[in-house]
Amino acid sequence: MFPFLASNNPIHHILDKPISGTEHITLLGKPALTMHMASLIIAATIAFIVLRCAAKRISIGKESEGTDRYLTKGRLSQIIEVITIYMRDKVIQPVLGHDTNKFLPYLLSLFFFILVCNILGMIPFADIQVVAGKITESSEMDWAFFGGTATSNLGVTVGLAIVSFFVIQVHAFKSLGIGGWAHHLTGGAPLYLLPIMFPIEFMGMFIKPAALAIRLFANMVAGHTMLAVLTMFGMMAFSATQNWLLTGSIEAVSVVAAVCISFLELFVAFLQAFIFMFLTAVFIGQMSHHDEHEAHAEATH
Amino acid sequence: MMIPFIASDSEASVVDVQLLTLGTAIVVFIIFFVLAAKFVWPQILKGLDERDQKLRDDLDSAEEARKQAKSALAEYEEELAKARTEAGELITKARQAAKAAAEELRSNNTRELAEMKNAATADINAAKKAAIGELHNEASTLAVAIASRILDREISSEDQQTLLSESLAELGQTK
Repeated sequence: MFPFLASNNPIHHILDKPISGTEHITLLGKPALTMHMASLIIAATIAFIVLRCAAKRISIGKESEGTDRYLTKGRLSQIIEVITIYMRDKVIQPVLGHDTNKFLPYLLSLFFFILVCNILGMIPFADIQVVAGKITESSEMDWAFFGGTATSNLGVTVGLAIVSFFVIQVHAFKSLGIGGWAHHLTGGAPLYLLPIMFPIEFMGMFIKPAALAIRLFANMVAGHTMLAVLTMFGMMAFSATQNWLLTGSIEAVSVVAAVCISFLELFVAFLQAFIFMFLTAVFIGQMSHHDEHEAHAEATH
Repeated sequence: MMIPFIASDSEASVVDVQLLTLGTAIVVFIIFFVLAAKFVWPQILKGLDERDQKLRDDLDSAEEARKQAKSALAEYEEELAKARTEAGELITKARQAAKAAAEELRSNNTRELAEMKNAATADINAAKKAAIGELHNEASTLAVAIASRILDREISSEDQQTLLSESLAELGQTK
């Protein structure tokens, strides 16, 4: 049995691990080069290359192509185009209004980056590398250089949430000014409620991005833990009974269930990327200068 | 056997936040965002906007063309109706003119026929009268000659005239 694959704890499959051969490189007592870091870099590279290719195909071609230059070629480019149009017109525009074009690149980058991280996590790259290493070399070492779901690492999701936090707050300062930002912390409540409102709103400022981080992390961990548990049933049955027939039967059911859950996970991969992006847009929108609010406030005064 | 993954698991937890991973995530994402914001999104959004604009322009020009076609059709229909009316009037006028011409022709023909008939009748009558007169003369001459032979004498011109008148009267009665 391969020790990497045969771990009896499903959580082990989700935890970040050092890249094979770099275990001795540490920083602050922790591995300096981990597989999730490699996955992040690979995800960013894949996302950039795919989006760059799509951008070339979505942009209008040369005049010599005639009316065909207005067509987007390639299915992946068409999917990206449809997603982009939907996000812009149906999701971000209603929330951000005239600020849409300003934040569109950030929000779309966030969505596609998280999406690619989530989808790459669906492919068991680490396990494939270990198995391939065992087949091609007789080494007893488990060789794996990247793999795992980067977004199931709390450090990664917190990192993304911190970026969103700064984007939200910088926009708030620019849009509302210091006074408006401070006023926002009162929640618009009367002055005597300030001792209650201020701490709540102040904490809310940090809780909102924290909730983003925890939501994405928890969803990814939960799904992959479930997949790991399902695929480990066969091994557990074999350990307990040593009966190949029983193990095979249980494994067959486990694989079918894992396939079904994988479809659900694929949906969750899209959904969580969307939610992270959408809630970031909502939080940015909450910190925007609203003309109608101002007008209403003036009218009531 | 070296099992680095499992060996480190005893200390690790899923909720551990590794600062290095966190920093890597921030740096990688920011680099990705900067590159995407420079090389991807402007192109995609420009392409989408241009395509939108092209669609809007095409729809506008199609609408314009439809309006023009509609007004041109109305104009053509109006002109066609006018032409039909004019053609109808022309046909009516032509029919009336043809009818009048035919009528005139017929009346002319009738008149000419009547004139020709009258002339012919007059000619016949004149010829008849001349023939009768000549016949009378011949008859009277012949009768005088016969009578002269029978009587063997000369008849004076007064006698001859008297005889002729009587004969003519008799002839007139017998006719």
